Amino acid sequence: MSARFIAAMRVLFVGGIISFRGLFNWLNPYIYVPTMLVAPIFQVLLFAYIGRSAAVANDAFYLVGNAVQYASIPCLFAMANTIAGERWTQTLGIVLATPANRVALFVGRSLPVIVNGGFVALFTLAVGARVLGVTIPAGAWPGVLCAIAVASASCTGLGLLQAALALRVRSTAVLSNIVFGVLLVFCGANVALDAMPAWMASVGRVLPLTHAIQACREIVAGSAVGDVLGLLGREAAVGGVYAVLGLVALRFVEDQSRRRATLELQ
Amino acid sequence: MSILEARDLRRSFTSTSGMLRRHRKETEAVKGVTFDIERGEVFGLLGPNGAGKTTTIKMLITLLLPTSGSASILGYDVVDDAREVRRRIGYVFGGDRGLYERLSALDNLRYFAELYAVPAREQKARIGELLELVGLSGREGERVEGFSRGMRQRLHIARGLLHDPDLLFLDEPSLGIDPVGARELRQTIASLRTQGKTILLTTHYMFEADELCDRIAVIRQGELVAEGTPAQLKQRVTAGSVLEIDTFGGVQDRLERVLAVPHVRSATVDVRAQAETLVVALDSGSDVTAAVLAALDGIPLGRVVAREPTLEDAYVELVSS
Ligand SMILES: Nc1ncnc2c1ncn2[C@@H]1O[C@H](COP(=O)(O)OP(=O)(O)OP(=O)(O)O)[C@@H](O)[C@H]1O
Ligand SMILES: [Mg+2]
Repeated sequence: MSARFIAAMRVLFVGGIISFRGLFNWLNPYIYVPTMLVAPIFQVLLFAYIGRSAAVANDAFYLVGNAVQYASIPCLFAMANTIAGERWTQTLGIVLATPANRVALFVGRSLPVIVNGGFVALFTLAVGARVLGVTIPAGAWPGVLCAIAVASASCTGLGLLQAALALRVRSTAVLSNIVFGVLLVFCGANVALDAMPAWMASVGRVLPLTHAIQACREIVAGSAVGDVLGLLGREAAVGGVYAVLGLVALRFVEDQSRRRATLELQ
Repeated sequence: MSILEARDLRRSFTSTSGMLRRHRKETEAVKGVTFDIERGEVFGLLGPNGAGKTTTIKMLITLLLPTSGSASILGYDVVDDAREVRRRIGYVFGGDRGLYERLSALDNLRYFAELYAVPAREQKARIGELLELVGLSGREGERVEGFSRGMRQRLHIARGLLHDPDLLFLDEPSLGIDPVGARELRQTIASLRTQGKTILLTTHYMFEADELCDRIAVIRQGELVAEGTPAQLKQRVTAGSVLEIDTFGGVQDRLERVLAVPHVRSATVDVRAQAETLVVALDSGSDVTAAVLAALDGIPLGRVVAREPTLEDAYVELVSS
């Protein structure tokens, strides 16, 4: 293995974890617990009860849809902040003056985000199931874990693209909120894709989470992971496309800043 | 080969204002700057606010592309071989930003050690040495948010040295540091110089430049107006002596009369604590102290001192002429 490869791997893993801590220590329990662990339960309950009173679908449908969809809160907000937050700490210039491999640098920051997003979804699913009295068979959990991991990763890919935009527009929250809303409506968390107008369903199919939610529902209903590999593959592909677009956009933003001084780097 | 060669570097900025009717304004921040830095040298880049020092540095450290002209560091072009250049340079700017506040000093250094590809097994020793050098040993476990400006500045210097760069850029490192801290900082820079490090330094403190720099370039409105050793600059500009007269009120009105005295080259008023000090530059070999004092007849005077010109005298004359 070349020294350069090892250096890039270290930037990816070690650097990713250190910088996540640097930009995210504010997620102390007083902020973390209400936003990441309590709020999603409200969302699950809200839609499950709307579902019950309208008698459209069972609790498991809403539970899985909203638990997985809620992973987008950490995936979008945290991903945008770990990159665009550098503008507030004024560390971006110093970071960009280093020779570090940019793909490793930015993708590294996404790893802790993916883990956190997955944890939030899993926690919501487990607690929500308790509260609503939905039984998820013990044998389904490995598959659920797998689907959630793919969902969290692919949504973080979209977060990476959004981070590049956030660097330019200087606001991360505005964009993250909008994208969260789009996902809530279009990814089939609460309205099945079949029940949507065709154009909305087509939008849903090119968004992250849509395929993973469907896969996760099938697993909870008794399917084996092997049966949903196609869905998970599509989910991963969608996320991969966003991640690549995000890296290209970050590259573009960096180039533009050298050309036109758009990032007011220190 | 010089460690750094800058050739006719230029950079302009376009700024727009107004929401509906966009006004475009073009500023030429650096207008053709050429200089060399030799290995082991401390090179000072001095100039007033907005002269183009930081812009020049940003082009050299690959954060900004030159509008035209070129520069190379150790033979690597700052545009075409940016990554090779980045491996070999360190960059530190003044002020207290630019650190991860919520991380400890140690984690800040570890992070940048990774970004500069310092091999894992060397990191610990290297970081230890640098903490020692900048006097932060024992404080490395604390979060940076609790650090004073001076400590942050020293941490920045340690960060800039992690990968043992051949050339270190220090942009106003003493900004906002107290006199004792600034003195320690100068000692740190002086010791780096003894270790043979090459440094490009900008500062607004002339005594600092005089003490530390082997060679100085003065930049004004984007153009170099002088270059040489501190001694050469002092000679070249004010080939004479300087008279300092403390006065207590009314000196401004007498400037015309002082300037009318033969052999007086310039006269400026420097407002200090209680007194206004009149600084008069004289032609060499002339002794017109009596005539100058006569021109001030009637206003209360304090201490009168004749002295050799300082770098600050030279600088003030260069940037105000
Ligand atoms: N990103 C930018 N966009 C527009 N103008 C800029 C930009 N950066 C610098 N300038 C302009 O370029 C000129 C030179 O600025 P620069 O920061 O290089 O000065 P400086 O010599 O470092 O000054 P100081 O001593 O105050 O740090 C100034 O007129 C400044 O307004
Ligand atoms: Mg400056």
